[in-house]
Amino acid sequence: MTTAVHEGPGSEDVLAVAEDVWMALLGEDGMLVPRAVPTGTPFDTAAWSAATTISGGWQGVVTVELAEALARRLTVRMLALPADQTATDSDVADAVGELVNMVGGNVKSLMPGPSTLSLPAVAAGRAAFARDAALACRVDLSWLDAPVRVSVHVPLGGPR
Amino acid sequence: MKILIADDSRVMRQIVIRTLRQAGHGGHEIVEAENGRQALELVRTEAPDLVLSDWNMPEMNGIDCLSALRASGSTVAFGFVTSEGSEEMRERAASAGAAFLIAKPFTPEAFDDALRGVI
Repeated sequence: MTTAVHEGPGSEDVLAVAEDVWMALLGEDGMLVPRAVPTGTPFDTAAWSAATTISGGWQGVVTVELAEALARRLTVRMLALPADQTATDSDVADAVGELVNMVGGNVKSLMPGPSTLSLPAVAAGRAAFARDAALACRVDLSWLDAPVRVSVHVPLGGPR
Repeated sequence: MKILIADDSRVMRQIVIRTLRQAGHGGHEIVEAENGRQALELVRTEAPDLVLSDWNMPEMNGIDCLSALRASGSTVAFGFVTSEGSEEMRERAASAGAAFLIAKPFTPEAFDDALRGVI
């Protein structure tokens, strides 16, 4: 877990939100384990990522990055697909988008409002940020031994 | 009873249907909409008893859908199932005529509590 200096939600708050979401979706199998990752380390490759933007009383971008295998397993669980069925890319995009919507919506509730939450943007690949975005908070976790990262970025120079 | 579930995520519509069942509200007829505009049309053609709607959706969001319903004279019971559970959103939902707001992530108990008042 890493917290940068910019004003934003604390790592503990973001961790609690992520744990709540996983637990609600997966029950006792939804236990996330914190993972020690040095600052500046890029997220593991072959990942799915999703981002949602909060604008208004507080401004920031919340992203969730997941290892490919984890994204597929999570989708299978969210859709309650039979064990012999695999999730399609469209299912994974839908599930990962919903995941960031939940995490982002809960982060939004922690920050000053009123503000709006954008529809999620989902990509197969690592999340990329513009130069004018600064990391405010990053939480590295693992679920079933696969990596998960939740990040919050704010406009450079702090929230507007 | 007929329940209309409006959410742009197919995954979330399925989770809502599953949670309804887990909350002891299985057996209802379910109609699905992918956005607020579709939900608006389906309220007219399907006459559901309850609408469970996401807030953020493309085409038409949930709050605009609710406002359009009320403006057209519809009094259908309407509840939000949304990731935005702040006091501000709850107040906006209530003043637009929503019966409840269930925040994601939710539990079957939260569904049961909310639905008991309207079913």
